[in-house]
Amino acid sequence: MTLNPVPATLIAVAIWFLAFVCLHIVGLRSRKGNVQWLVLSYAACCAATLVTIVTLSMWRDSGQTLLLSIPIALLTSTCLFVLYVPAVYTILTSLSVATLILLRRTDGRMPETSLYDRFATRGIIQQRLCVLVGAGYLAENACGFSLTSRGRALARAFAFIKRLWCLGPGG
Amino acid sequence: MKAIILATAMTIVLLAVVTIALRFHQTAQPAKQMTLIYFGCVILLVLAWFTTSVDLGFLAPSLLIEPEWLDFSLMLFFFTAAFFGGALQLYNLADRGFSLRILIDVEQTTHTIDADWLVANYGAGKGLTWMYGKRIEGLLETKLVDRKAEMLELTSKGERAADVFLAVRRFLRLEPYS
Repeated sequence: MTLNPVPATLIAVAIWFLAFVCLHIVGLRSRKGNVQWLVLSYAACCAATLVTIVTLSMWRDSGQTLLLSIPIALLTSTCLFVLYVPAVYTILTSLSVATLILLRRTDGRMPETSLYDRFATRGIIQQRLCVLVGAGYLAENACGFSLTSRGRALARAFAFIKRLWCLGPGG
Repeated sequence: MKAIILATAMTIVLLAVVTIALRFHQTAQPAKQMTLIYFGCVILLVLAWFTTSVDLGFLAPSLLIEPEWLDFSLMLFFFTAAFFGGALQLYNLADRGFSLRILIDVEQTTHTIDADWLVANYGAGKGLTWMYGKRIEGLLETKLVDRKAEMLELTSKGERAADVFLAVRRFLRLEPYS
C-alpha cells in the first residue's frame, strides 16, 4: 500500500519556495545582480525541492508515487514563481509605483508638469537602456544601440502577441 | 492528476476565448474584460470538476490526488496562477511593458537608436510623453491620484498604496525616489 504523497509534496514545495523568497530578498538587500540572482536562487531551490521529494518518496514507498508527486511539485513551484515575480518587478521597476512614491515624499501633491519632467525624460530611457544592455538584450556600439539575438527573439515574440491580440503600440 | 488535466484544458480554453475577445470585441479596459472571462472559466472549471469522475475514466489509482478537496483546491490554484501569472501578465507586458516596447521599437526601425531618438519615437512614434501620460491616466482611473487644476494629488487609497510600496522598498534597501 502507498501513502498519499501530495500533502508532503506541497509542504516541501512551500518550504523550499519560502527559502527561495528569503534568498532573493537577501540578494536584493545586498544589491546582487537582480535577474541573475533571481534565476540562480530559484533554480537552486527548485532542485532542492525535487531532491527532497525523490528522497521522501524513496523512503516512503520506494519511488512508486514519483509519477504524481514530481509533476505536482514542479507545477506548484512554477505557479508560485509566476505569481511572485510580477509582484516583485512592480515594486522594483514600475513607473506608476515610482510616481506614487514620489508624490508621497512630496506632501502628496505635485504639479503634473514636474512629474513629466521627472519621468518622461531622456534619463529614464538611458537608465532602461543600460538595464537592457546589462541583461543581454541590447548591445551598445559606436552607432548607438542594436538588438542582440536574444533581444531580437524577445522583441519578435512580443510583437507577435501584440498583433495576435490587436494591442496597438502599447508600452 | 485530474487537477492538472482540467486546469490545463481550461487554460487553453481561456487563452482561445481571450484571443477571440481581444481581436473581435475589444473594450476600453481589456484587463477587466480578461478578468471577466477568467471568472466565467472558473465557473466552467468548477462544473467540470463536479460532473466528471475522480479518475476521468482513464487515470490509474496511483495518479489520483487525495483527499478530493485538495485536488479541487489545486485545480483552482493552478488555473488562477495560469491566469494572473500567465495570461494577464502576458497582456500587461505586451501592452504596458516599457523595456519590451523599447526592444520592439529597436527591432522595427532602421534608424540609429539612442536615448534621444527613443524619447521622440518611443511606442511606434508616439514618444515618451505619451508613455507617461498612459501611466498617469492609469493612476487616475484606479483612483490612486486625483487631478486638481494643474496638480496631481494622492487620494487616501493612493497614500495607503504608496506607504506599502515605500515600506517594501525600504525593507529591500532600494534607492528611494526623490
